[in-house]
Amino acid sequence: MQGFSDGGADLGQLQTTMRNIEVACTSIQMHINPAAAEATILSLSQSPQPYMACRFILENSQVPNARFQAAAAIRDAAIREWSSLSTEERRSLISFCLCFVMQHASSPEGYVLAKVSSVAAQLMKRGWLDFTEAEKETFFYQVNQAILGAHGIDVQFIGVNFLESLVSEFSPSTSSAMGLPREFHEQCRTSLELNYLKMFYCWARDAALSVTNKIIEPNAVIPEVKVCTAALRLMLQILNWEFRNDTTSMKAGIDVFSAGVRHDNGSSKRSECVLVQPGPAWFDVLISSGHVSWLLGLYAALRQKFSREEPYFLLWIDPPDVVSKAIEEGKSESEMLDGCRALLSIATATTPFVFDQLLKAIRPCGTLSLLSTLMCEVVKVLMTNNTDEETWSWEARDILLDTWTILLVPTDGSGGDALLPPEGKHAAANLFSMIVESELKVASASVTNDDGDSDYLQASISAMDERLSSYALIARAAIDVTIPLLTRLFSERFARLHQGRGIIDPTETLEELYSLLLITGHVLADEGEGETPLVPTAIKTHFADIAEAEKHPVVVLSGSIIRFAEQSMDPEVRATVFSPRLMEAVIWFLARWSHTYLMPLEETNCLSNDYQQHHSVNSKKALLSFFGEHNQGQVVLDIIVRISVMTLVSYPGEKDLQGLTCHHLLHTLVRRKTICYQLVSLESWRNLANAFTNEKSLFLLSSANQRSLAQTLVLSASGLRNSETANQYVKGLMAHMTTYLVELSNRSDLKSVAHQPDIIMSVSCLLERLRGAASAAGPRRQRAMYEIGISVMNPVLHLLEVYKDESAVVYLLLKFIVDWVDGQISYLESRETAAVIDFCMRLLQLYSSHNIGKISISLSSTLLSEAKTEKYKDLRALLQLLSSLCSKDLVDFSSDSVEAAGINISQVVFFGLHIVTPLISLELLKYPKLCHDYFSLLSHILEVYPETLAQLNSEAFVHIIGTLDFGLHHQDLEVVDMCLGALKALAAYNYREICAGKTGLVSAGLGNLPEGIFSRFLRSLLQLLLFEDYSPDLVSAAADALLPLILCEQGLYQKLGNELIERQTNPALKSRLANALHSLTSSNHLSSRLDRVNYQRFRKNLNSFLNWQNKRNGWFRFLWSFLNFSMHLEALLLVV
Amino acid sequence: MSDEEHHFESKADAGASKTYPQQAGTIRKNGYIVIKNRPCKVVEVSTSKTGKHGHAKCHFVGIDIFTAKKLEDIVPSSHNCDVPHVNRTDYQLIDISEDGFVSLLTDSGDTKDDLRLPTDESLLKQIKDGFAEGKDLVVSVMSAMGEEQICALKDIGPK
Repeated sequence: MQGFSDGGADLGQLQTTMRNIEVACTSIQMHINPAAAEATILSLSQSPQPYMACRFILENSQVPNARFQAAAAIRDAAIREWSSLSTEERRSLISFCLCFVMQHASSPEGYVLAKVSSVAAQLMKRGWLDFTEAEKETFFYQVNQAILGAHGIDVQFIGVNFLESLVSEFSPSTSSAMGLPREFHEQCRTSLELNYLKMFYCWARDAALSVTNKIIEPNAVIPEVKVCTAALRLMLQILNWEFRNDTTSMKAGIDVFSAGVRHDNGSSKRSECVLVQPGPAWFDVLISSGHVSWLLGLYAALRQKFSREEPYFLLWIDPPDVVSKAIEEGKSESEMLDGCRALLSIATATTPFVFDQLLKAIRPCGTLSLLSTLMCEVVKVLMTNNTDEETWSWEARDILLDTWTILLVPTDGSGGDALLPPEGKHAAANLFSMIVESELKVASASVTNDDGDSDYLQASISAMDERLSSYALIARAAIDVTIPLLTRLFSERFARLHQGRGIIDPTETLEELYSLLLITGHVLADEGEGETPLVPTAIKTHFADIAEAEKHPVVVLSGSIIRFAEQSMDPEVRATVFSPRLMEAVIWFLARWSHTYLMPLEETNCLSNDYQQHHSVNSKKALLSFFGEHNQGQVVLDIIVRISVMTLVSYPGEKDLQGLTCHHLLHTLVRRKTICYQLVSLESWRNLANAFTNEKSLFLLSSANQRSLAQTLVLSASGLRNSETANQYVKGLMAHMTTYLVELSNRSDLKSVAHQPDIIMSVSCLLERLRGAASAAGPRRQRAMYEIGISVMNPVLHLLEVYKDESAVVYLLLKFIVDWVDGQISYLESRETAAVIDFCMRLLQLYSSHNIGKISISLSSTLLSEAKTEKYKDLRALLQLLSSLCSKDLVDFSSDSVEAAGINISQVVFFGLHIVTPLISLELLKYPKLCHDYFSLLSHILEVYPETLAQLNSEAFVHIIGTLDFGLHHQDLEVVDMCLGALKALAAYNYREICAGKTGLVSAGLGNLPEGIFSRFLRSLLQLLLFEDYSPDLVSAAADALLPLILCEQGLYQKLGNELIERQTNPALKSRLANALHSLTSSNHLSSRLDRVNYQRFRKNLNSFLNWQNKRNGWFRFLWSFLNFSMHLEALLLVV
Repeated sequence: MSDEEHHFESKADAGASKTYPQQAGTIRKNGYIVIKNRPCKVVEVSTSKTGKHGHAKCHFVGIDIFTAKKLEDIVPSSHNCDVPHVNRTDYQLIDISEDGFVSLLTDSGDTKDDLRLPTDESLLKQIKDGFAEGKDLVVSVMSAMGEEQICALKDIGPK
């Protein structure tokens, strides 16, 4: 097929070309020999300088598809030949396209016009950085004239359309490829954003404005709508632009605006709200020009015109009661929701004060009042039709709650709550009481629709958490009203329970109390999230006039709840009132409350911070000290402990309740030293410790609770003044366990009784307790735990033998040892370390001898996969054990060094790895956690003790190398990173050895491998870097591994490099590749030493090499594929 | 608890007590439980409440350790469940006979010839193949509530 270049084009030739193309287009459409037709069209766009032909086709062809293809051909050819075109040619191409669309604006084939317009936009972008400002001006003058409507509606539409194409070309996410580096696109983007975007926006707005009046006229559909739609689309597109320019560097003139704007994006949002972020420079255009009201007016008018509904006009939300009533009566809710979203958006951009002022000009009360009334209406609707379906009122509530949250969440990071004007406070108080009323109603109604779901506390709290914390923010905004309200609500319900006991079914009241406890917990205290929460600022700073602590509303409220909780100690009341569910809420509340208020740390600090206003200090001090150490704190603590013991003993089988008590409440208590001091002296705490050792009922706690309770009790020993008493205390707590285990393991009939379920249960229970205690060993209690551990060492090994088929017990045994070693190892003296290490090795060997070569046989696939999971968990525990042992070399608090006693940790760990690795199959490494643990241990060992690898036997060695290779191709970035680290360490060690004239790793009894390990890894790593997808984050680590590998295997590296160059057919690229490879190893003064400087240089070299290589994508990978590294990898896997 | 101790004593002299009572709340995943008079391994435990303010109950999903059938049960968590006494004994595999029995060597040097091979083809193949390769095989026999079955194989031959 001949080309279609213009060289000496005469009319006949052009007509032939046009006919050819037309025929091709038609035949494609009719599916007649499409391949040939496509080739014809392709040849047009691929022929050099086809512009004349294309223009001819565009102007003369009657076939729209041919015109479309001609436009596409102009684009392809011009982008390809751009650099060889003269400036004049470039300009004429663009202006041809622009003129073409303008002239044919009324053509019915819109897609041809859109194509030509987009070609113009792409060419414009291609030449963007070359054209002078004046040249661009010329183009845009033409466009602007069109958009202004000087040449009629159609041209106006085309003009807007062209800008739309242009903006989308310049936006990185929608731009088309031009075969240019990313920098080009970035520069274009920035240039457009800074110099043109706002102008385009104004043009679009003016275009829309110019046609608005016509659209609003109640005529039938008119062509202006098209222009208006396009203009609005362009405006939206511009507003959605990803603005990058630094807002702070803008002119100072706009500070008025930015002062009122908040720049926090931290608040979470339930409802979607896209925030437009054009930055302050756009203020004049967007806000002050008043076109928002124009837009709203247009919206309202359009609704009126097209749907003939009652117009709501500007504010779809005002007055709220009328609106909500209308919606309930069947009106569309979308305006109302849009109105709510508008409030949310405004709240995002303003401070509460500015927010409130916004409507002052046109309404008697502030925006906050409106917001409150509006939300009250929504809540009312929610209350009346309480269904599980997500109705509009749900959505409205969520949007409005978000609005409140955004307004009220403290923004300055100091924890100070936002201050509302008095009217706003009033609004918040009203709203909160409405919310509580509705929540209570929902609660009492929910009693009847018992769906039997496991609706337990943790789940319901976390589901409601966001909502509850928003409620709390609202309540705190009007704290002086809301706390007394809550107190009143509680006392009403307490009274109701009291009077109706035995007569009325209390369930509804119980459920209401449950809700109230959750709400109050959120209002009074914050979730600590691992930190110690402080008393909320709103509570600290208000109630200034209250001097007597007993009358402080927070004290009154807390006191009434605690007194209520205390009634659960009476068995009769407990049976009728304190259902497990209510008790869960009580325990949850007590935990949250005591974390903040019970013997607070602030109590002592309070006096020193006198710089605050005097009157607020007084009331704050009263509040803080009331539940302090020297006041009511001890009494309350005693009550809480007694309640806790009661829930553990008197609610048999209530795992959730007991879990809350153990993990939440008791843990909270022992977390603070001040409380521990009090605890250990309390009679009730001693009773708990006694019950723990003697009471049968506490053996019935579930395993996690068992563990947690043991941990808590041991932790409370930190309240004892010296370490001797602390150790004595711990020993006293644990004695029953060690005695039992020692006696059991010494029984002659151990083998026959061990598998009785009751014995298994006791053993598991005690092991859980030991594990809990072991994880609580701190420096003060370390001695006691050490002795306990030593005394059960032999029993542990016995039990491991006896229970080798009882996976649950085996896992517990291993976990206990892991936690115990982890807590002990850094404190141990060398002699003790030796004993512990010896024990761990025996344990590992025993475990390994039980499990190696074992195959489970079961009909049930579930049981088989369970068995596999159990094995994985065991191995993970063993790896953790080895890691703990490893840490002895790094963290050691003992008085003598381990080397003194002749212990070589590295050998120990390697020996351990030797035992464990055969159990770790590549199959098991698919468990991500195991994989992670394994490779972090492996890379650590290889980095710290590479020399010991040589001492492994070849089977273990090959296995380890095999897993390393597996890890190198893992998807997890961290795993690959660790493997690269290990590889670097190995290769560097080998290189140093060789340099020192030694044999290195290769010949150390490992000659039976098919190929040296380093040459294989060199290939493998090069393969990865050159041909596979990898994260750019790995390049540095890969460079660090590659450098020593290249140094170890210089010959092979040369050979591989030459192969790479030889495959290259294009001589120019060949030499460039050779240069790139050469400079990889020689630029930046790279030497053959392995020091930090050299590693850094190589990182730089590799980075620039890979950048060069990435540009030469595609063909490169293809050419090398037949080097087929995968064969080597497979060979390796076979060996393993 | 006193119940359990009673069982404990009787066990010491008499034969096997087949099951033991244990509070439902203390039975955990991977433990054993008797459901519909079958010994099961627990693969799932969940708790819920009877009514909103009622007491907790446990929902067990168990797999029959011999037949691999899935069984379910719901028990108030403060009540007792039966837990089977599951024993495992290792024997060296001496022979596989044509009629579907295995011959095993006990610790005391006697032989045990009354154990049937599994009927399931794939399990049978695993055992037969291992034996045919001439490996020294130890089989683990699981017994509970008067039934027994091979549950694991282990190659103890020299490497």
